[in-house]
Amino acid sequence: MLSSGTGKMTAREEEQDGGVDELLAALGYKVRSSDMADVALKLEQLEMAMGSSAAQDDAFLSHLASDTVHYNPSDLSTWLESMLSELNTPPPPLPSASIPNHQSNHLDLPPVPAAAAPASMLDPAECSTVTTVDLPTPRRQSEYDLKSIPSAVTAGSGRIVYGPEPPVELNARDRKRMRTSSSSSSSSRGGIGVGVVGVGGMGPSMPSATEASSMVAGPAAGALPVVVVDSQEAGIRLVHTLMACAEAVQQENLKAADALVKQISVLAISQGGAMRKVAGYFAEALARRIYRVHPQQDCSLDSAFSDMLQMHFYESCPYLKFAHFTANQAILEAFAGCRRVHVIDFGMKQGMQWPALMQALALRPGGPPSFRLTGIGPPQPDNTDALQQVGWKLAQFADTIHVDFQYRGYVANSLADLEPCMLGAEGAAGGNNGGDEEPEAVAVNSVLELHRLLARPGALEKVLITVRAVRPRIVTVVEQEANHNAGSFLERFTEALHYYSTMFDSLEGGCTAAAAAAAEVTAGGGQQDRVMSEVYLGRQICNVVACEGAERTERHETLGQWLGRMTRSGFEPVHLGSNAFKQAGMLLALFAGGDGYRVEEKDGCLTLGWHTRPLIATSAWRVAGVGDALSAAR
Amino acid sequence: MKRRNTFSINDNVDLLVEILGRLDGRSLGVAACVCKLWSSVCRRDSVWEALCNRHVAGGGGGPGTRSVVAALGGYRRLYRLCVGPVLDRLAGGPGRAGWAPTREEAAHLSLSLSLSLFSIDCYERLGGSRQRPASLLFLCKSVNVS
Repeated sequence: MLSSGTGKMTAREEEQDGGVDELLAALGYKVRSSDMADVALKLEQLEMAMGSSAAQDDAFLSHLASDTVHYNPSDLSTWLESMLSELNTPPPPLPSASIPNHQSNHLDLPPVPAAAAPASMLDPAECSTVTTVDLPTPRRQSEYDLKSIPSAVTAGSGRIVYGPEPPVELNARDRKRMRTSSSSSSSSRGGIGVGVVGVGGMGPSMPSATEASSMVAGPAAGALPVVVVDSQEAGIRLVHTLMACAEAVQQENLKAADALVKQISVLAISQGGAMRKVAGYFAEALARRIYRVHPQQDCSLDSAFSDMLQMHFYESCPYLKFAHFTANQAILEAFAGCRRVHVIDFGMKQGMQWPALMQALALRPGGPPSFRLTGIGPPQPDNTDALQQVGWKLAQFADTIHVDFQYRGYVANSLADLEPCMLGAEGAAGGNNGGDEEPEAVAVNSVLELHRLLARPGALEKVLITVRAVRPRIVTVVEQEANHNAGSFLERFTEALHYYSTMFDSLEGGCTAAAAAAAEVTAGGGQQDRVMSEVYLGRQICNVVACEGAERTERHETLGQWLGRMTRSGFEPVHLGSNAFKQAGMLLALFAGGDGYRVEEKDGCLTLGWHTRPLIATSAWRVAGVGDALSAAR
Repeated sequence: MKRRNTFSINDNVDLLVEILGRLDGRSLGVAACVCKLWSSVCRRDSVWEALCNRHVAGGGGGPGTRSVVAALGGYRRLYRLCVGPVLDRLAGGPGRAGWAPTREEAAHLSLSLSLSLFSIDCYERLGGSRQRPASLLFLCKSVNVS
């Protein structure tokens, strides 16, 4: 109860009253030390609620004075609760990060954190759109925007749990002090003020000063945090949480991983643009892994759907176009002077690569050769013969430009099911046209197909033996430039996070500009392309993170690794010429907003990347020591 | 006093073709709006062929090329869908490709790139496309609809 007294007396008070905060007790308020943070929070809310209802001032205050039931005001907690419940503020919807955030989302991923828990940083922060991390200056609390109170807070204090902490003081000096001291600690801090959910770098509706509330770190705390506004801090925190969750999964600490996954989802809301989506997909993949949701993706519906997704990916960004154009250039050069050519495509899909090659063959000096195409594709769920339909379309096209065209489709579950006799024997032996025909020149083309074979041991070697048996003039291989196949789960996760963050960044950067540049009629299509591309990438993320064993087909490897594999299987590299480089460069110059794309040449192979990170690589190969291979194959 | 030799360009279509054949794409479009004669001249594929092949070393291939392009939709369409947008985009940022092409190199590459894109577009439109062919969307120009 009320007491004024010396320090000695208040100390005695404390013992008597069981842990009541002495400073407030001196003022006549009874607050438990353990409730301090909670009380502080509610005081903030109350101040805001009362302060902002200026228009209804009189009515409100008189209402408060007369109609409400107040509990003993010296018991601060319950009094605040009753006041707040009177306010009856309808919980505002959480503002979602729908406004594109044009920040570059280059987050330097930290090395694997030693502690499983992420560091929590609690700062009053300015919303900032600069990519450099500024330590923000603390702002006055009165600038809060009432609308930003998340529903979690107004609905009551139950969902916010603060760790057992000494009472937190409200002045800025201490905030700063605590911030610097806790940057590497893994314990949670009592939150000050209202946690505000919002998006960093947004327009005028956001408060200019915000305070992040605490985030409960540590295993199995079971608390749901209320989050952050400064997207810089939140972004770093998000990455930390993702890494922590992956580590928890690797250590089979599923309870911790579960808690962390939930935190990721909440944190991700505060981000904008690419980072939010990437985090969302990774969170989903982690959740699938934790809860062992099987099957990961319904394989029977897979092929048509993923073809469609890949088409959108083809249209929205230059990676696949780059792949097709550079591979075609290599094939064209290899076919120089040949009258009969045969291309074997390991991933036929919609056949978008071949019209350009046929056109180039048609226009070459000396006229077009006779062109044979063998397409490999997966079985279709609904018995439609997609391969045949694509073949018909290509035949129509070839007819238009007067190129002699033959087509053969093979349905195969896996490339390892192919035999050399299926692929090469007919034409090479010249069976149809008599024995004195010039042997046909063969090219094998694989765009993003070979990495799937790594899921089953020995499959890749078998396929490469088959390829060699066909005696191709050139083998073009396009693969993702990333290592998503080696090492521990955590290493794979980190790699994938880097890679797909960059990918999504490039989609964001390329597509916002392209959408701005596209006519209004097509802008909807541009957006749809991007969304579908994101889904396409999201499925890959899911596969990389959540699957194992034979199911994990997205086993990307780097150019260096493929170099090793190909040379071990008896191939030698063919340098892609400067023509391919120049054409690729010009192609990229056409993509609006494509300033970030970079073509680089590496060991005779071409890579396309976003800023400094290569994302896709084209390489060309031929059978090493052709004479030997010929005799060996017989 | 009436002059004896009045010269009207519309009486000399060959000359008109020669002159219009030296215009750039935008001006050709404008010229097509002048009168029926000019419009018909501007619709001739040969004019657009000359435009597409401008600065290309060797004049851009012979009758073989012509027949292929005609089969794909003609030079005028090629220019409208591909060559024009490509040249516009490239004019904006010469250094973006990472290398500095000579004028002939740039023209040659633009043309071959345009032909590839054109053929992809033509292919997309085959077989009664259920959806709008979208492979050239990335080249579309902005339209201010505010």
